[in-house]
Amino acid sequence: MTADLLAGSGRRAVTLPAGKKWRFHHILLAAAAVVFLLWCADGVDLRPKEIVRAVPIIGTYFARMWPPRWGFADSVWKPALETVYVAIWGNVLATFIGLPLGVLAARNVVRSSALRNLAKGVLNLFRSISELIWAIFFVAAVGLGPFPGALALGMNYGGILGRLYGEAMENVESGPIEALQATGAGRLQVILFAIFPQVVPQFVTYNLYWFEVAVRSATVLGMVGAGGLGFELITSIRLFEWRETGLILLVILGMVTVIDLASTYLRSRIY
Amino acid sequence: MISIRGLSKTYPGGVTALRDVNIDVKEGEFLVILGPSGAGKSTLMRCINRLVEPDEGRVFHNQEEITGHRRKLKEVRRQFGIVFQQFNLVKRLSVLTNVLTGRLAYRSAWRSLFYNFSQADKLIAIQCLARVNMEHKALQRADTLSGGEQQRVAIARALAQQPIVILADEPVASLDPKIAREVLTYLKQVASELGITVLCNLHQVEYTREFAERVVGMSRGTVVFDGPASELTDDMLHRIYYRDPGSGDAEDESR
Repeated sequence: MTADLLAGSGRRAVTLPAGKKWRFHHILLAAAAVVFLLWCADGVDLRPKEIVRAVPIIGTYFARMWPPRWGFADSVWKPALETVYVAIWGNVLATFIGLPLGVLAARNVVRSSALRNLAKGVLNLFRSISELIWAIFFVAAVGLGPFPGALALGMNYGGILGRLYGEAMENVESGPIEALQATGAGRLQVILFAIFPQVVPQFVTYNLYWFEVAVRSATVLGMVGAGGLGFELITSIRLFEWRETGLILLVILGMVTVIDLASTYLRSRIY
Repeated sequence: MISIRGLSKTYPGGVTALRDVNIDVKEGEFLVILGPSGAGKSTLMRCINRLVEPDEGRVFHNQEEITGHRRKLKEVRRQFGIVFQQFNLVKRLSVLTNVLTGRLAYRSAWRSLFYNFSQADKLIAIQCLARVNMEHKALQRADTLSGGEQQRVAIARALAQQPIVILADEPVASLDPKIAREVLTYLKQVASELGITVLCNLHQVEYTREFAERVVGMSRGTVVFDGPASELTDDMLHRIYYRDPGSGDAEDESR
C-alpha cells in the first residue's frame, strides 16, 4: 500500500514552482539563430540540388578504386609505417611543447597573469596554424621527409594538448595543494606532488585521443612532402591510378581502426 | 613558546575573521581552540603558518618573529605541520609517498624532479607511519583508505616534517565519534611522545573536555575564554556559542 501524500494532518497547501515559459525574447533568439544559419549557407554557396547530382559522381570514383591493386602493397607498407612513426613522434614533441606551456598557463600554478597570458598566446598561435601549414614551413626549413611532419604535428598538437593540460590542472582539488604548501614544499614540488598525480590519468587520455587524430592527420602530411602515406595518395590520384588509391585508402582505414581500438581500450583501463 | 600578538584579519569581501587575537602557547602543550563555525579558528591557524597573510599582528616562536619575513616562509612552514579537516592527501599517491611529501621542504626542488627520496627520508616516513600504526598500509594508494586511516596518514605526514608545532584544523569534523576519538588519541599521544606543541581547532565541546589541556574559546574572531577545560561552564559555553545580544560586537552582521 502506498501512503496518500495528499491526505493527513501534516498536509500544507503547496504550489508547483513555475516552469520556464516561452517568452518573446526566446522566440527572437531562435529566429536569429535560423537567420544566422541561412546567412552562413549563403556563405558556403550551399546548393542542395547539386548534392543529388554529386553522389553518383563520387560513386564512380569509388567504383574505379575497386578492386584495389593488392600488388601495390609492397610499396605502401613502408610509408604506412612512416605515418605511424610521424604520429608517435608528433605526439611526443607535442607533449614536450604542451606540458611546460600548459603549466605556465594554469591559474593555480602561475600567479602572474602576464606570464599566463603569454603562455596562452603562444599556445593559441601554435594551435591556430594547422599542421599542414606548419608542415609546409618545416619542409622548407629542414627538407622533405617524415621529420618535418613530426615537427608540424608537434607544433599544432602541442598547442592543443597544452591548452587541455592547463585546463585539467586548473580543475584539480585545491586541498592537497594547500597541504603541500603548508609543509614548506616549493612551487615546483607542489606541481610535481600535488597537481601532476591528480591529472596524470587525464593527460594520458588526452595523449591517446590526440594520437588517434594524429594518425589520421599524418596520412595527409605527405601531400606537402612531410613523409608518410600522403605522398603516395596524392601521386596515385594525380596519375589516375584509382586502384592504387583504393589500396591506400584501405590501408589507412585498417590502420586508423586498429589504432582507435587499441587506444580506446587503453583509455578504458586508466583509472 | 608561541606568542600570538594582536592578530587581525579581514578578508577582501569585508568579513572580519580575526580581531586582535592574543594567545600564548607553552612548549609541548595540547591546546584546543573551541568555537562555532565561522569563529575564525581556521583563519587563525592559516595566519600562523601564513597560508593566509594577517592584516595586523605578529606571531613569535621563542621570541623570534615568524611573521613578516618573506624569505623565511618555507622554513616557517616546515616547522608547523598542518592536519586538515578533509585530510588533503594526494589520493593517487601511495601512503608512503604522501608521508614523504612532508620531507620535501628538506630537499631541493631539482632533487624531487624524479620522485625519488633518500633512504633516510624513507626511514623517517615509515617511522612516522608506525607512530600512528599505519606502516602496514605504506604501499597502498591513499584513496583506498577509510577516513580515519587517511587522517592518521595526514598526521604522519605532519610528523615527517619534524615540526615544532602541529596545527590541527577541525581534524575530526568529518569522522564518526568512535573514529574521531581514535584520531584525537593518536594526535595527542604522538605529540606528547615527541614533545610537539599542538593547536587543535574543534567545535565539539565533549571532545574538548576529553582531550584539551587548555582551552581557548573563540567567538566571532575574538578570544572569549582562555583556561583549563574544567572551567568551561555552561555559562561560558553560552558565551562561545551564542552571542550576547547586549554586547557591542554586532558590526559584521552583514551576511
